[in-house]
Amino acid sequence: MTTSAEVHLPRQTKGKRPHFFEDPSIDQMMTFLLELTTEVGVLRERLDTVERLLDSEGSVTRAAIEAYQPDAATEQERAAWRDAYLKRVLRMHAPE
Amino acid sequence: MAASPKEIPVPNIEELFRPTHDERARQGMVSMIRKHAIIDMRRALKADYDERIEPKLEREGRKPEDWAAIEKSLEREPSYRFYSTIRYNAQEMCYLSVQPAVERALPAMIDLAKDLAARNPTGGSLRLNPNLEIPRYITALDVHLAPGWVHAEYTADDVAQGAVVAFGGKVFSGQHPYRKKAGAVGESISYWLKRQYPNFKPKRILDLGTTMGKNLLPYCTAYPHAEAYGIDVGAPVLRYGHAIAEHEGIPVHFSQQNAEATDFPDGHFDLIVSSFFFHEVSVKATKKILKECNRLLAPGGVMVHMELPDEATVSPYENFFWNWDTLNNNEPWYTSYRAQDPVQLCEEAGFGRDRSFKLHVPDSLTFGEERYEKFMRGELESPAHGSGGWFVFGATKQ
Repeated sequence: MTTSAEVHLPRQTKGKRPHFFEDPSIDQMMTFLLELTTEVGVLRERLDTVERLLDSEGSVTRAAIEAYQPDAATEQERAAWRDAYLKRVLRMHAPE
Repeated sequence: MAASPKEIPVPNIEELFRPTHDERARQGMVSMIRKHAIIDMRRALKADYDERIEPKLEREGRKPEDWAAIEKSLEREPSYRFYSTIRYNAQEMCYLSVQPAVERALPAMIDLAKDLAARNPTGGSLRLNPNLEIPRYITALDVHLAPGWVHAEYTADDVAQGAVVAFGGKVFSGQHPYRKKAGAVGESISYWLKRQYPNFKPKRILDLGTTMGKNLLPYCTAYPHAEAYGIDVGAPVLRYGHAIAEHEGIPVHFSQQNAEATDFPDGHFDLIVSSFFFHEVSVKATKKILKECNRLLAPGGVMVHMELPDEATVSPYENFFWNWDTLNNNEPWYTSYRAQDPVQLCEEAGFGRDRSFKLHVPDSLTFGEERYEKFMRGELESPAHGSGGWFVFGATKQ
């Protein structure tokens, strides 16, 4: 058995993966799209942290970004941004 | 003078989980994608069905009459396809978003859990059975799309799946209006029990399929003089749950057992509970477990399980909504479990039919005290399961 420091948890799920589209490539594309959507949100939040640190401290370091803890109001603002962002990115066409 | 063990604070295993800035941001995004699917897109899908799909089929004389026909009518609709794919991906991403931080924290988490299991500073206990055969209905698929679910072990004294399921669960429910707080179900049902049976004072409580015990702890708070026991087949979640309970200052006796046949004596418990449990086990196991509950419950005792509403309780559309998880969330027993009447199941297990019940109870954290009193007087209905209420079934014993 591996030691606890070497554990790599499995990232694949056991069980049949459903397809919601005729072409399974579209199911795969949706995974790419949602991962990418998430990464844009992550990048945006990192930028937001940088801006907030510059506002309050006038300078920024990687360590300060890592240590940054948003207060409840900031967390609320960020949640509202994510909500609005997803509503824009995942805009559905009107049903035909 | 040496401090007594009680005066030394018990460290919190959950504080060892330290995601990076970007991992936290990712978890926040995943919570919101999950909310977008389960609240916003679910609502849009229902509107599309009600306003366009069903009327069209009705005009053609083909109105879907049951949940399976509704599902069939939606399969090729973009509103269903995108709802489904976004919901499925968000579910997977919940666990993926926490795994790296769990891997980093794992050695320290294991050391702490081992130390607390040896010392039991709060007075709980942890009893594992390495020879227990984990039932195939748990191991065949990764339930909830969580790789390794509650049982997989990757190293000695492993707690990884406890942390993955706990923190993945926080991402899952992070933006859900009624599931933000872990233990909301235990809190709501114990709140109801206190009002429904004001003179009931259980001496021993048993929680089946307790995982990390988060829904057991509120019962301990509601009945502080009762001894609390939690069982599960998964060792990692029990180790992790034991560490949490010791930190919370609530003594809980965790043991690794299959609820189909436990080693507790007859009539050992006067309150038997579970949350989100029966729909994850086979129907055959459900029947055996309820018989075991009947054996374990003392005269004057109460059994109450939070579960999905059964098929007969809700509309065909809602049945379609719930049964989605069967194939799309690796919960193979979901549909067949829901097809049964829980009151009938209690009766078959030996509980009196007139002493068995099923009902929705309000979510006590969000319903409001005044409205709750109206609910207790029968003047106000509980919101539906998962939308401000929780469905429960159970029985009392003479």
